[in-house]
Amino acid sequence: MSKHDHTPHLPRRKRSGRLTLAMMGASAFGLTACGQPPQEEQITEIEFDEPRSFQSVEDCVAENVYTRSACEDAYKASLESVPRYSTLEECEAENGEGSCTAPTEEQSQAATGSTGGSWFMPAMMGYMVGSMMSNTNRGRSFERVYQEPVYRNRQNQGNWNTASNQATQRVSQRNDAMRSSVAQNRQAASQRRGFGSRSSARGGWGS
Amino acid sequence: MLRIDIPERNEWKALAHELGFNFHTIDGEPYWKEDAYYQFTLEQVERDIEAPTEEVHEMCMELVDKVCHSNALMQRLALPEHMWDSIHNSWKSGQPHLYGRMDFAYSGDGPAKLLELNYDTPTSLYEAGFFQWVWLEQAIAQGILPRHADQYNSIQERLINAMAHLGDRIDARTLYFSCIKDNAEERATVHYLQDVAVQAGLKAPFIYMEDIGLHPGAEYFVDLNNQPIHALFKLYPWEEMADDDFGEVIPQLNTHWFEPPWKAVLSNKGILPLLWEHFEGHPNLLPAFFETASSPPLPAGWVRKPFFSREGNNIELITPAGQREAVDGPYTDSPWIRQAYHPMPRFGNNHALIGSWVVGDRACGMGIREDVGRITKDSSCFVPHAIV
Repeated sequence: MSKHDHTPHLPRRKRSGRLTLAMMGASAFGLTACGQPPQEEQITEIEFDEPRSFQSVEDCVAENVYTRSACEDAYKASLESVPRYSTLEECEAENGEGSCTAPTEEQSQAATGSTGGSWFMPAMMGYMVGSMMSNTNRGRSFERVYQEPVYRNRQNQGNWNTASNQATQRVSQRNDAMRSSVAQNRQAASQRRGFGSRSSARGGWGS
Repeated sequence: MLRIDIPERNEWKALAHELGFNFHTIDGEPYWKEDAYYQFTLEQVERDIEAPTEEVHEMCMELVDKVCHSNALMQRLALPEHMWDSIHNSWKSGQPHLYGRMDFAYSGDGPAKLLELNYDTPTSLYEAGFFQWVWLEQAIAQGILPRHADQYNSIQERLINAMAHLGDRIDARTLYFSCIKDNAEERATVHYLQDVAVQAGLKAPFIYMEDIGLHPGAEYFVDLNNQPIHALFKLYPWEEMADDDFGEVIPQLNTHWFEPPWKAVLSNKGILPLLWEHFEGHPNLLPAFFETASSPPLPAGWVRKPFFSREGNNIELITPAGQREAVDGPYTDSPWIRQAYHPMPRFGNNHALIGSWVVGDRACGMGIREDVGRITKDSSCFVPHAIV
């Protein structure tokens, strides 16, 4: 045995006794390779065109503005948004005497997915369809169809033109609300890229 | 101090990959080199590196205190005025710091000379603190080094202690970690620090500097989910942050930064002439002065450095024999200092530079970089050391 093996180096040892890694290394390697998380996409702007009113799906298709499936989807979505009541009295109290009806089998199927169940709704006279254009912070735009039921109530007395005017008003109120909520969102959205803007020119910051 | 050729460990590249060291080779050129090592005596390490590092560190802390209480000195260091309060407050409230590295020219005899401080965004940390340690243990196990070989390196152990200390002082023991996008080496360094933080019992989420958000009405900078960032470690320099779009907002928000704002005082080469002014003649310091409009052209035996520069960029030197060497770079928009030229030791074709690490306020290890040129750059190789 050499003399060195008996020399107690430990008291003056200049290095740590044990080191480990918790997350770096083979298993963690995949983590760094995953790259950056995607930027959140937010709607920054919405535009609506003038909606059109139709008394039926066939009416909508005949106008030749929307495809049949868009007309059908919009009808179904409108129907789903019609308020429902469990009794005729409740419905009439809200919408006026003579405004309410039980859904047809076809309406019940479209609104709830089943023909069963007894409920009442303002009699639906037709629906409105329009286009909505949304722009996002990633520079993407997409177009979506929006819709609104046209139904009979106390004020319109079952007059189609008045009913569709009322529906148009509802649409424009709702659109204003959406616009202002988008504007609020935009205002509340966080600013990014406030740090590191000159980095691409310099490559790195370690020293 | 000797440079000794030795065999490489078997399969070290596979091991490096397994241990997350994926920048051992950069652009096809070796960065980590282990076909040689630098050999020191214990006395050289303790007397010439460790003790002077702690002493210079104390001198630096003394200077930070002076600068933090003097607008004139803040101005002299070209620190932006909107940061003065943050710098002063972070120092006065005793905000802890994590780490720093001093670069010394040292040849084995005579005092080590401080070339510069890297006290804000030092890298080569993983190589020095972890991979170098693994190299020593394996080199001994494989009979490449004698059994009594040692290394000046408790860097990682100290980092874990320092992180635990920070963890006790930050909200929810959560410290975000950050660097810029598209830089593998910096990402790896930050990854290593996250690893150390996790070992110290912290939560250590990552966010790129570019992704840090400013939310209207929020008291903190926010992450990608708009959640407040209470504390964040950034491998990104203060002088850049201050100049960035969010720079003016930093003093208004409560996010705690590591390194703290007061490190801006030391990550600035203007600190070198200030050190010389206050401790002129100290054996570990080189004469250094601020360059002024009336300074003559750079004379022989002097080095010219911008206040803010990294990886050897924009440094120019003329040896006493009149040989000129310079590295180009983008750092031309800050003032300059001049420092007396002091040769780094040369081994074969290589100039060796000692990086001496400080964690918390303790000197705790070193790493050696070597380059064929006299200016150490990001491409300069890392060569391990041992005390034999």
